[in-house]
Amino acid sequence: MAQIKIDNLRKEFGVGDDKVVALQNVNLEIEGDVFVSIVGPSGCGKSTLLNILSGIETPSSGKVEITQDRHDANPGYVFQAARLLPWRTVMDNLLFVQKDPDSEEARARCQKYLDMVHLGDKGDKYPGELSGGMQQRVGIARAFAVEPDVLFMDEPFSHLDAITARSLRRELHEMWAATGKTILFVTHDVGEAVELSNRILVFAKGGKLEDDINVELPFPRDAANEEVAVAKAQVLKKFEDLDLVAT
Amino acid sequence: MTAVQERHEEPTKSAEEQRLEAAARKEKQLKWFWRIMGYITVLGVWEFAIADILGLATGRTLDENLLPGPLRIVETFPDIVASGRFFTSFGATLTRIGVGFGIALILGTAIGLLTQIKWFENFFRDFQTVGLTAPGLVWALVGLIIWGFKPMGWIFPIVMVTFALVSVNIAEGVRSLPKDLIDMAKAFGTPQLRRQREIVIPHLAPFIFTAIRFGFSIGWKVTVLTEVFSSNEGIGFEMRVASQLFRLDEFFTWVLSFFVFALFLEKVVLQYFERRFFHWRQEVATA
Repeated sequence: MAQIKIDNLRKEFGVGDDKVVALQNVNLEIEGDVFVSIVGPSGCGKSTLLNILSGIETPSSGKVEITQDRHDANPGYVFQAARLLPWRTVMDNLLFVQKDPDSEEARARCQKYLDMVHLGDKGDKYPGELSGGMQQRVGIARAFAVEPDVLFMDEPFSHLDAITARSLRRELHEMWAATGKTILFVTHDVGEAVELSNRILVFAKGGKLEDDINVELPFPRDAANEEVAVAKAQVLKKFEDLDLVAT
Repeated sequence: MTAVQERHEEPTKSAEEQRLEAAARKEKQLKWFWRIMGYITVLGVWEFAIADILGLATGRTLDENLLPGPLRIVETFPDIVASGRFFTSFGATLTRIGVGFGIALILGTAIGLLTQIKWFENFFRDFQTVGLTAPGLVWALVGLIIWGFKPMGWIFPIVMVTFALVSVNIAEGVRSLPKDLIDMAKAFGTPQLRRQREIVIPHLAPFIFTAIRFGFSIGWKVTVLTEVFSSNEGIGFEMRVASQLFRLDEFFTWVLSFFVFALFLEKVVLQYFERRFFHWRQEVATA
């Protein structure tokens, strides 16, 4: 079982007068196959938190630990933009992040996840030959194909049109249900967070963790459903109470 | 046994596809037409400048002994090849470019990579500017004065003229490395060597090609220049001998062969490798 422990985390950028505090005094524990959304206004440190957890950034102070059955966990990452190598085919992009890229098993695994995102016949295409939505699907397949213990997702649908985003949200949720990962999902869309998550972490400007909300509604959740709409209104109310709504 | 015959039908192309194909064909034909017209015009003007072929001009505008026409050069070419000097001279010049530019490529790449560190950027900055701006003639003369006919006499000018061009191009490439892709690879724990092979090298490839293309073209000029001054073999040396003996048909044959070979390297060799490296761009462009 995947376990994330964050202890008194702080991250600063710049020095002197240019110093910006991105995260401060963040303490958190996440355990098991949960879908956790991180919400908050722009510049509240949501993406920085994922970057620290995935090892792209290092913390200024504090401690971060991600384990799977007491061993280092295997991470996957879906970015805001797909971040595919334009000079490699879709299949090669998936193989690029595999531990054993030359093996038949890795190829079969990549094909399985390409099939899951309905791009099974696009393996020999280059990313530039695909639409934005398809590229993002490849990004999702790439992250699932490493069979991660923990999956980080940084506003993966924010660049897409509403219909594509909706269909991808549904696919993502089905894949999560089928594979059982710990997912940390950054979004600025409260509706998306309520629709997808068991737990919502609310961050405020200055990188403080302001609230930790459990959403106990059955899946799949439809945005048109009354209970979902009520839950969304409650989270938005907390936003207002915490004075997080952009003015 | 019954032979099973399958009828394969060619998929029919839509009217739009046929129109696009016809437009692409016409574009290609026009491209070649204007390219050939360019050759015909230049060679025609050259030929007519020295001879009254069609009786249209009143007489020769230039003495054929001063400026032999392209037809006479074509006639001279087999004589030079038969003498055996053609291949030995080309071989000598090419070896020099290979050695000189090879050293410049290694040196320039190393300096280009080092300039990412601020200290080294300041260390090399002015030398790169001097390397880019100083005329090849200066380095050719310096090489001749110090080393005379020794190999360093021709290696030095080629390296000095081309290393800066290579280093500036490589530095530009490294400066624009795709951080988003490198971060992506880091997030997935991709090994450093694979990151270099799959992200850094493909990203740097266009900059390396540009460096080779311009470096080579300048390297050619300097090599021939050094051979004119300080060598007893190579194309430059042959040009010097032909001009001293007033064999201008031979002189221009060397000049023209040199142009043809440079074009061959650019249009056939370099473009072949470019197509191999960047075939994905073609796929994307035609998608």
